[in-house]
Amino acid sequence: MHKYIWLIIVFVIIFLLRVTMRMRLKNKSKSTKTYKPLKAWQKKIFTVLVFSKLSTKRFFRDRLALFFGILFPLIFLFVFGGIFGKSGDTVSFNVGLLNNSTSKYASEFISQSKASKIFKIDPTITTLSAAEAKMNRNQLDATVVLPANFGITQKGSLYPSGKVIVYYTNNNSQAGQALISILQTEFHSINSTFVKTPTPFSATGQELNQKSLSEFDYTFSGLLGFSIVGLGIFGPVNVFPELKKQGILRRLHTTPIRVWQYFLSTMISQAIIGLISISVMFITAIALFHLKVVGNYFEIILFLILSIVMILGVGLAIGGWAKNERQAAPLANIVVFPMLFLSGTFFPRYAMPLWLQHVTNYFPLTPVIDGVRLLATEGLNLNQIGSQLGLIAIWTVVIYIIAFRVFKWE
Amino acid sequence: MSKNILEVKKLSKTYGDKEVVKGISFEVKYGEVFGILGPNGAGKTTTLEMIETLRPIDGGEAILDGINVSEDPESVKRIIGVQPQMPSFQDKQKLTEIIEMFAATYGERTNPMQLLEDVQLVDKANSYAENLSGGQKQRLSIAAALVHNPKVFFMDEPTTGLDPQARRNLWDLVQKIQAKGMTVIMTTHYMEEAELLCDRVAIMDKGKIIALDTPKQLIKNLLKGGFKKTQDVQQANLEDVFIDLTGKALRD
Repeated sequence: MHKYIWLIIVFVIIFLLRVTMRMRLKNKSKSTKTYKPLKAWQKKIFTVLVFSKLSTKRFFRDRLALFFGILFPLIFLFVFGGIFGKSGDTVSFNVGLLNNSTSKYASEFISQSKASKIFKIDPTITTLSAAEAKMNRNQLDATVVLPANFGITQKGSLYPSGKVIVYYTNNNSQAGQALISILQTEFHSINSTFVKTPTPFSATGQELNQKSLSEFDYTFSGLLGFSIVGLGIFGPVNVFPELKKQGILRRLHTTPIRVWQYFLSTMISQAIIGLISISVMFITAIALFHLKVVGNYFEIILFLILSIVMILGVGLAIGGWAKNERQAAPLANIVVFPMLFLSGTFFPRYAMPLWLQHVTNYFPLTPVIDGVRLLATEGLNLNQIGSQLGLIAIWTVVIYIIAFRVFKWE
Repeated sequence: MSKNILEVKKLSKTYGDKEVVKGISFEVKYGEVFGILGPNGAGKTTTLEMIETLRPIDGGEAILDGINVSEDPESVKRIIGVQPQMPSFQDKQKLTEIIEMFAATYGERTNPMQLLEDVQLVDKANSYAENLSGGQKQRLSIAAALVHNPKVFFMDEPTTGLDPQARRNLWDLVQKIQAKGMTVIMTTHYMEEAELLCDRVAIMDKGKIIALDTPKQLIKNLLKGGFKKTQDVQQANLEDVFIDLTGKALRD
């Protein structure tokens, strides 16, 4: 049932848009002059609503905007989902395997290794020097060599013996060490079939929690952040200088429309567009990448709207301030790229050094990405993510104060 | 109330240390078409933009329909319609929607088809604005500027770049607008346009008004000074030939 809620939301939004359009048409045909006179504040809101409606329509007619707003984040979802989504929880090593022995134990070892999930054997490796070259380029983790005497019963011994050699380079020493201990464990169980030895101490593992965060959960909330940035910042940054160049904003400035009305209408249409774009991402992630959404959808939507509004403010500030593209594009890049890379959009923040995490904690995008993850995949409620909400609120106030101050109509 | 809708007193504008409008004064009467003529860089557009509230007034004052422009720009915006020099509109926006949008800036609903009919754009009502020709864009811009029945209509070089048919059509439109009782204040480079449309013209040069009167009176004054055209007066000119051959019908 939960899976289909996003679909339903999309349909409801489309349905509402159609209904409002129909209402307008009916109004037009019924009468032309007898509209109920609006009060002053109603007129101001009416202005905002008409502008929101028209700019939303415009977005869906513009193929380029549709591509960057909706398809582009989806492509990222496929790319990153493909990288992190399928690796699952099994550890594996890319190894080269060289067999110099003819014993039956050696060939048994080879066939078992090939069947094992832990080893991904590179079939192209036939010499140690070729293996070395690949290891130096980090394409192989290690190379396992079975010497000529592997699996041969030595004179004076009752059972076969042998020593495999694991080669690794210094950039791969961790993988090499891990591989050695795995092989040790395996030989230990083989050894016990030849020589019975008591094992007083041992360790076994048991998987504990049923619901833990996968890499993809982090990736997904990061990509939502990316999509919000793409729409909210690059949208206005690209559009505003063009509107100024053509004198369209200047023409609007000769009408009574105020900056707040213009901003508010942009917020509303961006929130609609953003929610549709994000719904598409949620549906894709749930259907294809097995994203488990455990949170409350209503709260997620509310949180996303707040996030979209806050991030849009950055775009409005930059686009509203810049006189032309030459001013807008560099500033947007300076603001956006650190935010994208340091707020956990593509790489989880827990992988960063601690001091950097402390700094990036206060970036505007960080609470958005953390908040989405906490709500959607960790199942918290809005009242449990007060620090994220607080940070978003503070940033929203700061960003919009700046945006209103620096806005220019031409 | 006086019979002047606009009173401009010692209006001036300075960019850096260059004074582009140097303390000009003039009045515009209710219901007239008032032209501001002058070569490029004379300060025509800057003058209009100060009265349109687009640029702050550096010195002097402008009183539009009893409202001081620099003190209450918001009220001025409600009674003016503005036709910019190069009208442009957002892409992927239908003509009806553009009219709807401009009406909405005044908090009003309107009937876009009626306004489009006035400027002969009904058959384009559902096209996008980027597919219009220059003349059609000018006409759309006029329709958009008239959504709220302004008292004063400003036009900045409305016929620059138009073909003779489109220009004549625009002249008809201006005369219709005047017949509705609106005051029109326009700038132009074309003298025959000013002579035909304007009740009075001000000629500007280097930031100053150097002449202000009815076109007829200005010509009379010139002739009184002993001016004579070197050429014989022709009964028709090349434009008359062009219109005679190609007709008055709009081509776009």
